[in-house]
Amino acid sequence: MLILICLFACLSLSAQVKDFYPAPQDDAYLSKLAAKYQEQYKANLNKLPSQNKQDLVEAYQHRWDNIKEKFDKKEVYTSRAAQEYLDRLVAAIRQGNPALAKMELNCYFSRSDVPNAAYIGEGIILFNMGLFSRLNNESEAVFVLCHELAHYLLRHSENSIQQYVSTINSEEVQAQLRNIKRSQYQKHEQLEGLLKGLTFNSRRHSRDHEAQADSMAVQLMRNTKFDVTGAYSTLALLDVIDTDTLNTAVCLPQVFNTAEYPFRKKWIARSSGLLGGHALVTDTTMADSLKTHPDCTKRTGLLKTMMNGWKQPVAVKFAVDSATFVSLQHVFRYETIEYAYLNDNYTRSLFLTLELLQKSPDDAYLVAQTGRLLNGIYGAQKGHTLSKVTDLPSPAYPGNYNLLLQFIQNLYLEDIAAIDYYYLKKHHPQLDGYAPFKTALEQSEKQMKN
Amino acid sequence: MSHAKKISFLTVLVLLLGLVSPALYAQAKLSIDKVYSAYLRNSGTISAQGQIKGYFFLYQSDKIDKHTNEYTLQILDENLNKVRSIKFEDSKKLNLLESAFNGNSISFLFKNEDNKTLDMKIYDLDGKLKYTYSRGYDKKTDDLMKQYETLHTDEGMNKNVFDMGEQGFVSVMPMREGKQRTYEVDYYSSQTKKQWTYVPTDDEERYAFAEYLGCTDSLIILEVMKKNRALSGNVTSHLVGINVVTKKKQFDLDYAGENYKMMPSYVAPLEGSPNVLVIGPYFDKDDNIGKDFSKGLAVYEMTTSGKVVNKVYNTWAGDFGRYLATNRKGKIDEVGYLYIHKVIRTPDHKLFIVGEGYKRQANAAGIAMSVLAGGNVGVTKIVVTDMVMMEFNDKYKVTGATIYDKTNNTAMAGVASDYNSQHVLANYLKMIGAFDYEFTTGEADNSAFAVCYSDYERSHEYHGQTFNAIRYNGSKFTTDKIQLKSKASTLRVFPAKAGSVMILEYFKKDKRLDFRLEKLG
Repeated sequence: MLILICLFACLSLSAQVKDFYPAPQDDAYLSKLAAKYQEQYKANLNKLPSQNKQDLVEAYQHRWDNIKEKFDKKEVYTSRAAQEYLDRLVAAIRQGNPALAKMELNCYFSRSDVPNAAYIGEGIILFNMGLFSRLNNESEAVFVLCHELAHYLLRHSENSIQQYVSTINSEEVQAQLRNIKRSQYQKHEQLEGLLKGLTFNSRRHSRDHEAQADSMAVQLMRNTKFDVTGAYSTLALLDVIDTDTLNTAVCLPQVFNTAEYPFRKKWIARSSGLLGGHALVTDTTMADSLKTHPDCTKRTGLLKTMMNGWKQPVAVKFAVDSATFVSLQHVFRYETIEYAYLNDNYTRSLFLTLELLQKSPDDAYLVAQTGRLLNGIYGAQKGHTLSKVTDLPSPAYPGNYNLLLQFIQNLYLEDIAAIDYYYLKKHHPQLDGYAPFKTALEQSEKQMKN
Repeated sequence: MSHAKKISFLTVLVLLLGLVSPALYAQAKLSIDKVYSAYLRNSGTISAQGQIKGYFFLYQSDKIDKHTNEYTLQILDENLNKVRSIKFEDSKKLNLLESAFNGNSISFLFKNEDNKTLDMKIYDLDGKLKYTYSRGYDKKTDDLMKQYETLHTDEGMNKNVFDMGEQGFVSVMPMREGKQRTYEVDYYSSQTKKQWTYVPTDDEERYAFAEYLGCTDSLIILEVMKKNRALSGNVTSHLVGINVVTKKKQFDLDYAGENYKMMPSYVAPLEGSPNVLVIGPYFDKDDNIGKDFSKGLAVYEMTTSGKVVNKVYNTWAGDFGRYLATNRKGKIDEVGYLYIHKVIRTPDHKLFIVGEGYKRQANAAGIAMSVLAGGNVGVTKIVVTDMVMMEFNDKYKVTGATIYDKTNNTAMAGVASDYNSQHVLANYLKMIGAFDYEFTTGEADNSAFAVCYSDYERSHEYHGQTFNAIRYNGSKFTTDKIQLKSKASTLRVFPAKAGSVMILEYFKKDKRLDFRLEKLG
């Protein structure tokens, strides 16, 4: 019990701690890690085969740029307690699979709210907080880790690069490209034909890779104590994970209606613009492929066929630390809000904040963060940089997020200042003891006077 | 600021189409981007009832044969999302002139130089071609072409193609018949394949220039200026209504025989009434509107049959003089004369009229040259001055006026500026794009709006072009300014949905075109 209490203290927040403060990021640690991986990346470049080497180097450079960005933008979470927990999950997988014991493998939590995890190269797996916080148990988390580990073990990323470079440099494709270049007419049509074949192959490989990774993941899980059926529940969750959980049409008037500045319906009205104000995705056959995780039903079917008759001697949902699992999930909901804000995505941060505010309307961090975000939106609109910190309504986003975006688009500067100020004022003086709240309120007062 | 700043939105740029995968590359060998590129031919706004609803980009995406190109018409919505990509084949010499949206269809007016046709193509919301209306163009429509090439109207706003609500679209084109100048009104249905043309047959004057002012369910309303000789200053102004059911002229009002004659410059249906509102400068009945000074601004309420049922006059010297230091001729101290750019009527029945000042000044360089060279090189110049916002109550009487300072800039100098009348000069300034007024953007009901204009700032903090807005939020005015210096080779600001502007930046070195929406502060 004492250990648990200490752990909670390290996490900056537990379910019981009222005022959340983000875990301080260890910049020196991040720089050290980035430098280490850069050395490794450079060493690996020297091992590339000589055939089409320049193209391969360029492809790996693209991959490295993406990895570097994760460190540069401080997406990798440096909380020691969270890292220790993740390391324990990985250790449990290694323990059940001795072949992995000496393997260079590094898993980190990413502060992204996107419900995803990824093997990004150089032996690095990123487990997004946005996905971890939505899982039901450790067996699901372990399935996610095993799935990404399988991509790593099966060298999917490296094989895709190799295959792509080989294809584009193959005599067949080069001959087609030469023909197209020589053509005076219908270049586009010919290229479309060529691209169609390449894209189809690439998509097919990508889907094959997912099924292969699922298959290997459950094999790895089978050797641990974690319940392998966590694979089914994870895929079922991923299938619907893009669904909104916040009804913005109800939430926005609830949160931002004040006696001094009553909520106006026109703030959430959609203009009847071109095609109803927004572009629409009308092709329903494309709907699944637009999901963060497509093909989940098919993948589940394949796993069920494969796992038919499987028995695990021990199959538990939690085998490492259920309390830490739950408390990390709680903290991560807040950390993703903070990271979206620091990463200049104010509308995403606001959406996540409003989601949590539904359950905890007087939470000091959430109230202050709402004020901080509206202050930021006010400043950006005034400085004509709003497009750099907010998303525009788009068919790519779910309906409730789009409505929040429309709300921001519909507000004039004086509306933002007043909504912000009167919202914060509702929580004054109750939250005055929370420094970020006081700062946000003072800032909003200044804006009101402008 | 010189009018040279006004780079057309139809700038031809070279860039890759989005369909080319950026990951496809090669070094010594061939890559996709080395064998293919697409060219942006035209771009512009898609508007409905004066509101920006989207944008179009016409790319030449392929060459089909010696005479034919493949084009890709990319349509973006008001939030810059790709809505549709329409691919079609057409002549090599194709230009997209304008586009309008009416709630159920999008119309595009193309100029086909090979076939010498003007093609109005109407697409449904799924991007399917519904109707094509084609008509030849020849010397008769030369003026229209020249207008597209040279005329500078409000940047990014439609010039000749307008939506008529759900029923269709209308275009108003200048025509030339020998030495005679006239006009033509074309109606294009978007509900059934139906098109008709109205050509005036009863104009006695040899020169008639029409401008679209607005429409009701049954009327297309134009302002028509008529005169008998090309260089004559003896101009008459007419308000012409064309009945869309009978396809005939419903009225042609020149207010002759009345105490005053008006030069209509704004028409709008009156809410809760079958009548329409007509606004414009007015003159004494014997005045020549091409030469004489207007007395003030008149506001008429008129029935759809053309009968004026209410007239309100605001004199420069009396009514406006209470708020602006104005003389009898309408000249305001420091500001000069006013050119009316826009009339805005709000839901609470207030009227706002946006004007911009211009005045004649002594041209020191011209005087010096005249003295030294002995010839007549023009001793005056015309400068464009400040913006003026005038407010009227629900009885159409002026209740306030505010001057918004901006840097004076020389719009024209030379002999022409010495002799021409104020009104001729103003129209010329408008035609060459010398005014700094850009456009007005706002809510559909005008409950909030922003009047946008350019300026040039010379201060310690900033030296360069600025984009400015006078914003009305339903109760008060505020101003906003965007400094236009950027790393881009070209930066332009275009109209966007209410409360926003679109900033377009072209990076020549990268052959990259970036566009983003920014809300006005």
